[in-house]
This record gives sequence, structure tokens and C-alpha cells, in this order.
Amino acid sequence: MSFKSVVGKIYRNFLVRRILRAFGVIFVTSTLTFFIIRLMPSNPIEIFINQMMAAYGMSYQDAKALALALFTIDLDKPLHQQYIEYLINLFQGNLGRSISISPGTPVMDIILAFLPWTLFSVSISILASFVLGVITGIIAAYRRGGLFDKVMSTFAAIISAIPGYLIGILIIVFIGVQYGLINYMRGAYSAGIRPGFNLQFISDVFLHLAAPFATYVLSTFGGWMLSMKASTISTLGEDYVTVAKAKGLPESRIRTQYVGRNAILPLFTSLAIQLGFIFGGSVLIENIFVYRGVGRLLWSSINARDYTVMQAVFLIITISVVVSNLLADLIYGLIDPRVRVGE
Amino acid sequence: MNHKIKSLVLSLAIIAIFAASFVLPVAVFAQEERKPLFVGAWPYLLPPQGHFNTFVTNALTFGIYHQMIQEPLALYFWANLSYIPWLATDWKVEGDYFVVHLRDGVTFHDGTPFTAKDVACTWQIHYMLNHPIYQYIDKVEVVDDHTVRFHIIKASPVLIRYILREPVRPYSTYKEYCDKVAQLWAQGKGPASDEMKQLAAEFRNFRPDKYIGTGPFMWTGEITEAEVWFKFYENYWNKDRVKFRWLKLINGETPQVTPHVLAKEVDYATHGFPPATEKQFIELGIRIIRPPIYSGPCLYFNMKIWPLNEVWFRRAIAYAINKTENAWVSLGLSAKKLPLMSGLPLEFEEPWLYPETRAKLNPYNYDPQKAAQILEEHGFTKGPDGFWRYPNGTVVHFELSFPAEYADWSAAAQNVAEQLTAFGIKITPRAVTFTQHPQEVLDGNFQLAIRHWGGGANPHPYFSFYADFIYWNQKAAGIGEGRPGISFPLEQDTECCGHVNIKELVFACAEGFDVEKQKEIVNKLALIYNELLPGVPLWERYGNNPSLDGVRVTGWPPDDDPIYKNPPYGDAFVVFMLLTGYGLKPTPQNMPTPPGPAGPDITMIAVILIIALVVIAVGIYYMKKK
Repeated sequence: MSFKSVVGKIYRNFLVRRILRAFGVIFVTSTLTFFIIRLMPSNPIEIFINQMMAAYGMSYQDAKALALALFTIDLDKPLHQQYIEYLINLFQGNLGRSISISPGTPVMDIILAFLPWTLFSVSISILASFVLGVITGIIAAYRRGGLFDKVMSTFAAIISAIPGYLIGILIIVFIGVQYGLINYMRGAYSAGIRPGFNLQFISDVFLHLAAPFATYVLSTFGGWMLSMKASTISTLGEDYVTVAKAKGLPESRIRTQYVGRNAILPLFTSLAIQLGFIFGGSVLIENIFVYRGVGRLLWSSINARDYTVMQAVFLIITISVVVSNLLADLIYGLIDPRVRVGE
Repeated sequence: MNHKIKSLVLSLAIIAIFAASFVLPVAVFAQEERKPLFVGAWPYLLPPQGHFNTFVTNALTFGIYHQMIQEPLALYFWANLSYIPWLATDWKVEGDYFVVHLRDGVTFHDGTPFTAKDVACTWQIHYMLNHPIYQYIDKVEVVDDHTVRFHIIKASPVLIRYILREPVRPYSTYKEYCDKVAQLWAQGKGPASDEMKQLAAEFRNFRPDKYIGTGPFMWTGEITEAEVWFKFYENYWNKDRVKFRWLKLINGETPQVTPHVLAKEVDYATHGFPPATEKQFIELGIRIIRPPIYSGPCLYFNMKIWPLNEVWFRRAIAYAINKTENAWVSLGLSAKKLPLMSGLPLEFEEPWLYPETRAKLNPYNYDPQKAAQILEEHGFTKGPDGFWRYPNGTVVHFELSFPAEYADWSAAAQNVAEQLTAFGIKITPRAVTFTQHPQEVLDGNFQLAIRHWGGGANPHPYFSFYADFIYWNQKAAGIGEGRPGISFPLEQDTECCGHVNIKELVFACAEGFDVEKQKEIVNKLALIYNELLPGVPLWERYGNNPSLDGVRVTGWPPDDDPIYKNPPYGDAFVVFMLLTGYGLKPTPQNMPTPPGPAGPDITMIAVILIIALVVIAVGIYYMKKK
């Protein structure tokens, strides 16, 4: 077998081609991110100078001298040189050091301090919302036209039209403020509690998760439910379901093995993309609830124009979305062999 | 039946878990009574972003509350423009030296005594970091344990303010760097030397593991994204004056802090609240204190563009804007029209301006007829569409840029645009993101723009005039990178004062220690500002700070109390009150409960009941299953 045919065979492999494509997407996206970030108006030094001039009445020279003493960044270096350095560092697994939000601190340390909270809050919320939406969607499809369907479909349509941050604000104002629970709706845990593997800390963490969790679930549940309902109704009309019923198979088996399994397929892609975004957190919801997470980190790094932190967060989001899409492709290939054969 | 029991058991278990999660933290907090407590609010960054190196960016200084942890040598009382001895007992100028005597018997939170070495160390670090004070001094010397002196190279009240108001950091924390700086300094190596730059680079990454000062409140380590707690330092040198034993700060900007204020969980906040929110606070019985900010929005002109470079045109614009209306629609009661348009805040006019100067200043009251008359005198005509036209017949049309995120400035800009358009000068408002807008103004990429006038929390008129004439005018002033900004010529012939060099006057007004001599220059600058109008100040901003009375704190002085001459930021009146014990005190319900006989702990009983309920439910479930 010639080398060319071996390479061709490897390339035609479904898995290899998907992985190569994923690497390509990550490279292109991180390159674009690098340049787009630098096209943003202002830079960390200018922002610092303006803050000093406004807050302390310093002259421009004084503020600039102070900025140059405090920051390590050299923004006067040619852009291509900065890009090459960025790529070299990236291939060595070095995301750099924070420029302005925590000057000198390795970006990886900053991200590791925030990421677990985002993974915890967003993954629990997305999975809960997905499971709740799928179950409610199937029930609504089976009872279409009934009271449950009418009430839940209307509720889902309304709730999915309300932006998540608005739901968060409503929860704060109508529950937090009115019932004096505001202190339990801020942060990831209470200030007096020592983090550790103990009941006190764990229960406090869940207590503080309640409000962002409710916001995430309420704002996404409607979409899952309506999609699942539509998909289930469509599957219920398929010939194989009619045949299964005609054969007298038990209803529970038809519901799970025939209808549920096929109806849920289209939702997998959306779920995979959503799971990818777990790593990015939610900028608005984390800010509303002052919840520790990558979304809040991204917000502060954008405001402070901390290029290295922004690059790292965008890179993580890119990788997680690409990897989760890749996994979705692979799982889809397992669930539906036509995908592999078609390729 | 079995199915129903199974559902019931599961429901009970879920409810029990939720209930337990609510009850358990409450049970934990019930163990410690944190009273008397004061709750403030300030945005901060949590570690690793936030840190304890309070000289560099993103340190956990907590803004105005920094001086409750690391104290300054003196406090400043704006009502009579005087310093109040704090860590310093007295100070004086002796020849070329500014000599400061320090208080004896003061200790840091770790027990080490406060000495002149700590003050010197603070200023050594600032030397390394190129602090602007080194335009005025060139040496810091420890005379003895309680005396430190600064060698003056240029006399100015600015240097006294820098020295007396700077929080003192402990030598024990910064020892390594202070000693190295002292060595390099002694060798004649300044902040520009390679050695000092290298040391400064290392220092930026220095992260002390402890946060200590001499202040009444000390670090507890209890910090989350939501709040941070400080407790009273029992060996505080002035402990009888301080009436609170706990300090809690809520983290966040206006949107995050607002619900806490509404829930009456905050005693005082400095954030800028929109008028609608302020109204809601008032309806809830929360008092609004309105201290002066000593600054506000100003309409600037790009003087590279004709006719914006003509003083008569700027005066016409000043007459065409109803500044009282603009103030009201922008920030309600917290915005006031300036009566004199001197370039100084309202509060500076009486102490700094002579009566005869005040009499000469034109208030530029709203007078559209006068504005129209000025324009007609210069060949402008009003067309049938109601818009003014240049002598060549083109419609007068300008773009007004403003920072989009500043709600009060945005409202001011929109209102200016509406008023001038109604007057006949077509204005297109353009919102620019707040980080970009100052750059555009400094680069001269604007026609009309809203930026600040006034020096903010700095008590000398120099800072106001610097903002008015120099700040947005780098090229003409020959400072910074020479960006054009408003391009206002700083050497001009004036009606009031003949030929003047404004830049020289601005810098001269802060030279020396002779206040009367400074006043003369300040009066001259006020007249020049009023005549030439480098900008049109729209109004002066006042705080709208919610102050809760009767929940945890009481004793807020009445609105006319002189303490409210102190601004909410720089020399914050609330910090002044907390440190000196003036006014504020805990409410009776915010005092520790006297020890009494121990009663049943209801919270713990609730926890036990919930656990018992779960156990019983699970038991029933398994029994039924069998």
C-alpha cells in the first residue's frame, strides 16, 4: 500500500477528519480573536491613565509615568511580533500574565480560580433545564390540545421570550428585596463560611446557587420544551411508530425506544453547543448575582482591556464549543449510523 | 397506593433538602453576633485579581474605606479648609523642609509600633513608582522615631496635601523594597534608572500575605464576590471615638448595590443612582445626602473649527442653553446650575473669590434673545425652517459627542442637543463608549463634546483650573503627548486682564505657601475663564447618597451640617464621621444583646425536625416496598 493511499485512508477516516477540522477552527478563531481584541478602542494603559487623571487630578504626564511604572506590557511592539509571541507561548501551554486586572498574575491561575464555579453553576442549570424541558415537552406532545399542553406551551413561549438578565432582576427585586433574602442571592457562598468539604459550606453553596439556577432554568427551559414537543409530535406521526402500535408493543416501550429516542436526536446538537458554552459562563447573570465565574471575569477583563485574560477566556470558550461539537458529531454518529455512512 | 406513597416520599425528601439548605447557613450565623455593625458598599476585586499590595493597581483598598484600615497623617475638613492631626500631631515648614511630628503609642494590627520609618518607607515606595510629589520634594529623612522631614524643592500646598493625606503602610510589610529603594536613592539613582525600573517591575508582582494598618478596622479574611468583613482593632489608639465594632462592605457597582439599598441592607452608599431609583429610596424612607462632588459636565468646543473658536459664538451658546433645566432633567436635585461660571465649584467661590471679582462675573443666564442678537451681529440669519445659517447660507450644524455609559452626562447631552436644536443650531448627539470618548476628545476628533470641568475631590483651585484649561488641551499646554484636544490658545489678549499666559497662571496659582498671593491669581483666572469660556459648565454635580437611619445606624447630621462640605469620595465625610465618632452611632438594636439564660435554639430544632422527617419518610418508603 503506497504512502499516499495510507494518508488518503487516514484522511477519509470520519474521526481523524473531524479532529483536524476542530484544530483548524480553534487556530483560526484564536487568531481572529487576537487581532479583533487589539482593534478595540482604547487600551489598558490609556484606561489606567484616564482613571488616575479623573480620580486624583493627576496631569497626563504624571499618570502616564505611573502607568509605565506599574504595567509590564509593551503595546508599542509591532503587532506581528506580539502575535508570534502569543502563538509560541500558546503552543507551550502558556496563556501569559494578566496585564491590568491583576498585573503579573498568570492567566491560568486566574481562570482556575473562576472556572470551577462556572462549570458547577452552568452545567447543573443546563442539565436541569434540558431534562425538565424534554420531559415536559414529551408530556405536552402526548397530551396535545389538553390543559397541560395549553398551560405549559403558553408558559414556555412567554418565559423563553423574556431575557435571562430580566428574569434575574425580577427574582432579585421580588424575592430578594421583598423577602429580605438578598444576602443569599449574592456571591457563591457567605463571607463567614470557610470553604471546604463540609455540610455547612456545601449547603451554603447550594443556597447561593438557587437564584442563578432559577434564572438559568427559567430562561432556557421554554426553548427545550417547545423543541422537544415539536420533535415528539413529528416523530409520533412516523410510520414505524404506527407499526409498533399495530404490533401491540407496550406503550412505555414505544414512548422510550421509538418516540423518545428519535425525537431527542435534533436536540442533541443544541445541547452540545450549550454544553460548550458552559466554560464561558453567563456574563449578564453572573454579574447580576455577583456570582463568581468566567462570565464575570470576561466582563471585568473587557472593561479593563486586559488582552491576555480576554484571549484566554475566548480561547477556552472556542475550544470547549469546538470539542463539544466534535463530541456531538461522534455521538450522533453512534446514535445514527447514517451520519458515518454518509460521510 | 404504593405509587402515591413513593411520590409523597420523594417530594418530602426534595422539600426537606431545600429547607435544610436554607436553614443551615442561618444556624451557622446565629452563633456569632456581629454588632455594632456599619454596612457600606464599594466595588472590589476578589483575589487573585485583588491583592494586598496597596501601592499598585487592583489592590484591595476598598476606596474611601481604605483609610479605615491604613490611616493618613491628617484628615481634611473642607468646611474651614483645614487639616486635622491624625497619625501626625503637628507639622510645619522649617526652611527648606516640611517637618512632621508623629503620634506616639500607635501600633499596627500586628502589634508593631508606628514610627517615622513607616512614613519614610511609604514615600520611598512612591519614589520608586515616580509619584508626582517628587516635582515638589527630593528627599525624605527620618529624624527620629517620631519625626520625619521632606526636603522641598518647589513650595506648594499640593505637596502638603500629598504628604498628609496618604495612607501610611507598614515598613514591616514593605521592608525589602524600602531598603533597596533607599540604597539606590542614596547612590543617586532615580525612578528613571535601570536599577530602579527593574525593582519597580519586581514590586508590581509583590503580593504581601498580610494586610495591616493602624486603622480601627482590621482584615478578617472573610471576603467573597458579594461582601467583605472587617472587625475592630482592640488596641486602636483612638478606640473611644470609634462606635462600631464591625464593618461590612457590599461589593459592586450601582446595579449590584441598588437591591441591597432597597432591602435596607446598606447604611451608606456613594454610588451614582438614577433619579427614578433615588425616588424609590425616598419612598422607602431612605434619606438622600447630597454632598458636593466639586465637578460636573461641561460643553467643550473644538476650537480648530470656525466659529467654535470665536468667543462670541461660545457666549451665544452659553446664553442659548437653559442650564437650570439641563441640571434638573439630568440629575434632579443632585445637579445645580453654577451661578457665576468662574470655572470653580460653587463652594470655592466664597473662600477664594473677592466680592469685586464675583460682581464682575457674567452668570450667562438663559437668554435666547441675547444669543440670537449675538449671532445676527456676526452675519448669521435664521431660515424659514427655524435653523440658523452662516453668512454664506449654510445651515449651522454640529455633532455633540458624549460618553454613553454615564447616565447623567448622557441626559445632559441629549438635553443640550434638544435645546440648541430648538434654538436653531442643529445638533446631532452621538454616544461614544466611555473608554473611547476621552481618547476622541484628546485626539481632537469631535466638534462639541461633554467632558468634566472642576478638580473633584481636591481642595485647591489649581486642580479645577487644571481641568478647565489644561486637561483637554495638551498640545496648547505643551504637556503629555501633545494631543490637540480642544485646541484652546493659552496665550491671549483679554478685556479683564490684558495679555495673559493662562498656563503660567494655572501653575502659579499653586506655588508657594502664601494663600493671599495665590488668591490674586485665582481671581484673575476666574475672570479669564468667565470671559473666554473654553467650555460651558452645565451644572455642578452633587452626590445622591442613600443614608439609612434607624436600622443599624443613627445620628446622621442634618443637611446643613458643615461635615457635608467634604465630598463623598476624596476626603469622604462618612469616613471622617466613622473615624472621629462625629454624628454616627449604632441604634439600640445594633448593640450587642446582654447575655441572658440560654433558650432553645429554634434553628437547630428545625434542622433536627427536617432530618427526622427525611428519615421517617425513607423508612416508610422501604417498609411499603417490602
